[in-house]
Amino acid sequence: MSTGQVLLAVERLTKRYGDVTALNDVSFRITDGITGILGENGAGKSTIIKILLGLVRPTSGTATVLGQNAFDDVAVRARVGYMPEHDCLPSLVSAAEFLTHMAEASGLPPSMARTRAADTLRHAGLFEERYRAIGGYSTGMKQRVKLCQALVHDPAFVFLDEPTAGLDPAGREEMLSLIRKTHREFGISVLFSSHLMADVERTCDRIIVLQGGQLVHSGEVAQFTKETETVFIEVDSNREGLVTALERRGVVVTAERTGLTIEGPDHSVYEHVRDALVEARAPLRRMAPRRRELTELFEREGERK
Amino acid sequence: MTGTVFDIGYQAYTGTREGRTRSRSAIYKDGVRTALGLGRGARAKILPWFFISVLSAIALVMALVAGAAERLGGPGAAARMNLPSHSDFNGIASIIMFVFAAVVGPDLLSPDRRSGVINLYLVRPLTGTDYIVSRWLAFLTVMIAAAVLPQAILFLGLSGGDPKPMEYFTKHWVDIPNFIAAGVVMAVYATTLALLAASFTSRRAYASVFLVGLFVITTPFTVGLAEEVAGRGGQWISMFNLTNIPVHVNDVIFNDVSEITKDAPARKLAEWIRVVWYFAWTIIPAGVLWWRYRKLTP
Repeated sequence: MSTGQVLLAVERLTKRYGDVTALNDVSFRITDGITGILGENGAGKSTIIKILLGLVRPTSGTATVLGQNAFDDVAVRARVGYMPEHDCLPSLVSAAEFLTHMAEASGLPPSMARTRAADTLRHAGLFEERYRAIGGYSTGMKQRVKLCQALVHDPAFVFLDEPTAGLDPAGREEMLSLIRKTHREFGISVLFSSHLMADVERTCDRIIVLQGGQLVHSGEVAQFTKETETVFIEVDSNREGLVTALERRGVVVTAERTGLTIEGPDHSVYEHVRDALVEARAPLRRMAPRRRELTELFEREGERK
Repeated sequence: MTGTVFDIGYQAYTGTREGRTRSRSAIYKDGVRTALGLGRGARAKILPWFFISVLSAIALVMALVAGAAERLGGPGAAARMNLPSHSDFNGIASIIMFVFAAVVGPDLLSPDRRSGVINLYLVRPLTGTDYIVSRWLAFLTVMIAAAVLPQAILFLGLSGGDPKPMEYFTKHWVDIPNFIAAGVVMAVYATTLALLAASFTSRRAYASVFLVGLFVITTPFTVGLAEEVAGRGGQWISMFNLTNIPVHVNDVIFNDVSEITKDAPARKLAEWIRVVWYFAWTIIPAGVLWWRYRKLTP
């Protein structure tokens, strides 16, 4: 259950690397729960995470985690976890030893670090494999070890950078399930970056959408889902007549190569479609709800600007 | 009687968090374990323990020879035969110490960058400075142990081999602080150069080959060139013999001349110049090493 406590706060954040603006005047606040940060490659997702972790100093603006600026006070990182996108695991040591070491590196005493390492591996389904060298693990198991090292010290907040990257459908499903479990059972809030809308939609409570270093959307996932939902219609004949009949009823229609798309449908749209089909005598072949692709959404945002 | 297993679910951690001090000590402890291959497979243990065994074996052989000379040749025979001493041991062992540092030292830095583990350290309550200082101290600890342990074996062997062990101890106890100081000098130098080379590459083998090449090539090169140039210029060229730099300080500590430095033209330079030269070769590389990790980001 969300308490509404602000865990991350970003105010007018700008980051420039020479002439390149990675982030431009971005502001948002994140309370407890699972928040997805969605954007294409180069949108600024990783830059925001690095600034929040205190690894990069912003050009202007502020970013705080648990009320602290991690750049000035590294101690706050003891209560934060981070799972990077890329490889970050040693191959020769066992998962149990690696996690124990990572828990100690986060400030836990050695005896507690060992206990936490075993517990975290058990929750991630790796308990039986804990004494095997990580180099012999499958990609899915390695991703789970990466998640475990971010959770082993029981952080209040965890950053997951593209946690499903490189996983097959089964591994991806397991990872998303573990992320949901991280918040719902462990009580750890999550900021989860991805370029896959489906992953964010199925896992997160809230969403932040970045494009070209700018914030284009921030809010509840349900609202975002509603805004990005469309209805796709395909008819056998008289497509033009159907468009005219729908427009006469105030329905906004986009003609596509094989059919028609209706933006942001509500319940009344289905009645309008039914009436328009009858009026235009257009035989319906297919009608299905559909979601706009991320790239398509960004193109539309760009056009609006 | 039947038992029931309960899954008590996730338990939040409510114990103490020891912060940056614990984080630094974790990096230090891991560095020592990595350098000695502890907690790793047998292959990781071969090299460090081989070098430590070779250094200890040299000390043991020296002690046995001295002991045998005393017993067979009578009291003072070892001194009359001018057998190698604590001062000479560092001269003899220096090249093995440098190869040890070149082969094992990069293991503390390069794999962290290659595997990406460094990215996980830098998001914990640590700075780049904490990381590199902890790693440097970890390898320094191992190198000091590798330098001092054989000297301790040699001292015990010489005491035990002497017909009057207590008399030997009271006459030579001053060798103990001397060989500890000389061991630290050797270890600081080898540790700093090994980690500096490792900081430039994520491949351990590149750093090792570079370092071994550096020590092996500079020695004959500077010796030959110093002889050709002669005079003051030759003395300064001789100072670039990287193997000899800490051995000159070793000579100052023991107030003695090692076998490997006795013919070096650099010996004609003042003692203070050789000591300052040693500090330049440790402080400047240490500064560059720190600078490289100071602002490291994933």
